[in-house]
Amino acid sequence: MSDGKEICIALAGNPNCGKTSLFNALTGAHQKVGNFSGVTVEKHEGYLDYKGYRIRVVDLPGIYSLTPYSPEEIVTREYLIKETPDVVVNVLEGPNLERNLLLTTQLMELEVDFLVALNMIDEVEEKGIVVEIKQLQKLLGCHIIPTSAKKSRGLDSLLDHIIRVSRKDIEISKNKLFFRPEVEASVDKIAAMLTHQKELGGYNARWLAIKLLENDREVYHEVQCYPVWVKIELVLQEALREAERMYDSEPEMLITEDRHAFIRGAMQECVRQPGGVKTSASDYIDMVVLNRVLGLPIFLLVVWAIFQMTFTLGSPLMSALEFLFGALATAIAPLLPNETLRSVVIDGIIAGVGGVLVFLPNIVLLFIGLSFLEASGYMARAAFVIDRVMHRFGLHGKSFIPMITGFGCSIPAIMATRTLKSRTDRLVTIMIIPFMSCGAKLPVYVLLTGAFFAPDVAANVMFGIYLLGIVIGLWTAWILKSTVLKSDSEPFVMELPPYRWPTFTSVFFQAKVKSLMYLKKAGTLILSAVIIIWAVSNYPHNVALEKELSAESAQIARSGVAAAEKMKLQNRLELRIKSEQLEYSLAGRAGKVLEPLIRPLGFDWRIGIALVTGLTAKEVVVSTLGTIYSIGQSNGAPVELKSILRQDPSFSQATALSLMVFVLLYIPCVAALGVMKKEVGRWRPVLLYSLYSLSVAWIVSFIVYRVALLMV
Amino acid sequence: MRLSELNVGEKAEVTALKAVGAIRRRIMDMGLIKGTQFKVVRVAPLGDPIEISFKGLYLAMRKNEAEGIVVCKVDAFNGEEFSQADQQPIE
Repeated sequence: MSDGKEICIALAGNPNCGKTSLFNALTGAHQKVGNFSGVTVEKHEGYLDYKGYRIRVVDLPGIYSLTPYSPEEIVTREYLIKETPDVVVNVLEGPNLERNLLLTTQLMELEVDFLVALNMIDEVEEKGIVVEIKQLQKLLGCHIIPTSAKKSRGLDSLLDHIIRVSRKDIEISKNKLFFRPEVEASVDKIAAMLTHQKELGGYNARWLAIKLLENDREVYHEVQCYPVWVKIELVLQEALREAERMYDSEPEMLITEDRHAFIRGAMQECVRQPGGVKTSASDYIDMVVLNRVLGLPIFLLVVWAIFQMTFTLGSPLMSALEFLFGALATAIAPLLPNETLRSVVIDGIIAGVGGVLVFLPNIVLLFIGLSFLEASGYMARAAFVIDRVMHRFGLHGKSFIPMITGFGCSIPAIMATRTLKSRTDRLVTIMIIPFMSCGAKLPVYVLLTGAFFAPDVAANVMFGIYLLGIVIGLWTAWILKSTVLKSDSEPFVMELPPYRWPTFTSVFFQAKVKSLMYLKKAGTLILSAVIIIWAVSNYPHNVALEKELSAESAQIARSGVAAAEKMKLQNRLELRIKSEQLEYSLAGRAGKVLEPLIRPLGFDWRIGIALVTGLTAKEVVVSTLGTIYSIGQSNGAPVELKSILRQDPSFSQATALSLMVFVLLYIPCVAALGVMKKEVGRWRPVLLYSLYSLSVAWIVSFIVYRVALLMV
Repeated sequence: MRLSELNVGEKAEVTALKAVGAIRRRIMDMGLIKGTQFKVVRVAPLGDPIEISFKGLYLAMRKNEAEGIVVCKVDAFNGEEFSQADQQPIE
């Protein structure tokens, strides 16, 4: 219960410090818990009620420093300065204290109300590292609370201290980090000039001065427009000359050196590490995993294993779900006397949504695999192993992570490109992600490989499709990088975090979140799409055709053939009429219009309809095919789509391959296009990209179809 | 010499940073500043990037980026830590 007292806290810390785990442990909201730099790209918020307070928690992106170079750093800094949370919780990775303290020193300079959560304290103890907390508190000028988000240790104490800090009930006085005298002199001079500026009152003058000496672009822009700038510029030039003369260096370097010197001092004074350098488990793992000979095969094996797990483990679960939906349709059919209503429910709703839900096991398994890689720390190694290749195509090793995430869903993958610093790198990576076959395209492959290929070949065909996507994607990147988007790549300076055994919850909840997202999409978007498709493929009614049906059926009834033969004739007639009705409907007409364009790829108008509706979401291709083909086939009793397609004369192995390739490559779904627009900022590149992917899809499908026709 | 010229297993100390802009800042923030001693741990299976370690941190960087770091080889690290005073030239 909260009594209306609200405290807003922000979690700030390096990547891999367990910040997101702590956020989850505090708020109970479960999110992406990864072990790769910059998994948390967006600002995540949650809240909890504690001792009469409502504590709002904001999880800021993981950053090493408060410089304005990456979008994450800018987001964090903007938030800390402009939104002024009541308390900043600086989360430190206990076993890696020295590097983590750099951010702490910058928080000290910012003079915000902060406290330190010394996280992963269990690992610290295991390693025999002793931290003199009292002494360190004095040096950092803030409370330090040992926590372990993984083991839920120290959380109450952390919350108690947060409340105390918010009430300014602090025993420890703030400490300042002093730089060498020459730097301090310049800082003081500039700060004095700035305190007289009323407009800049929101900022702390000392911090602004330090940032100016550090050549901080953002702060430069902020201060440059004031008259006092003329005077400040002189001091900056003087400081630069001084640093050059005395240290053969510049103020920026001196300030960083002094911060590190302060940290070194603090470490020497307060932290006792067990003597001798021990080879850690991570070292041993890396000796194998990053081995010059084994590294690449292991990397490929890991990627291959993820896919085998998804398909091999997924298929029995899928069959079970398929059976369940079939049973549901059979059970419901007799309860619906009205033919139109029965058609909506069985051909529209059950066939559509059911056909989508059936693929859930694959998606869950895929995301379990991807979260495991992320949370264990292997993702960063993957970037290390594959960077040479990625770099050749003008990409960054880090682009590989969003690329891989693209295999799950383009939407989070496109958002994950924010970890890339250079705008060009981001743009290129965003443009290739849709070629990484996403989870929603999987149902299409599963359906078509299941229908036209033997089970032992099916997995290989799918692997080939995925591989094709990668090849086309990299090729696209190379084209973009060597033509329109020529520029320097992002620097590759990346931490390889220690391997950590992912918690069951972090992996499981990731899969749960993703499944819920998928279901939500299935529930709202897909259902509405399915009902629209059902309507356009049933209306307008061909009245002449209906008359023909009743006339012919009366003729059959009057004829003298046996009852069984009558049934057969009646069924065949209905089938013909229904398929003619579909041709007459709006959907059929649209498909017909498109048919000449897609005929060379082996597609008829029905596939044309499916491809158009598939733009809402790729899995809709399957439900549309389901609706169209079950209208043309079934008579109330649902027949498995696979066997319908197999029996259809217009479908062959070559058509199936061509269709899979086309679905892989053509325009991404509307949701992905929307996110793309948001990340890129303009519609023009998104539209150009759509045109590009459509052309590529056509050309490649054409080649695949023609080659397959020759071979089969 | 440059960091990119070191072989696997060699130990060295940073003497200057030639890199500029974002790369320079990132290198500095990671703690690779004048006086930091490190060891080249390995080269990626495809020959680039390289991995170095210092102060319990493992850092991967491309040879391109490593070229911006001027180093001098050392035979052994001086104790656990490297103090500020040692950086000043002794007259």
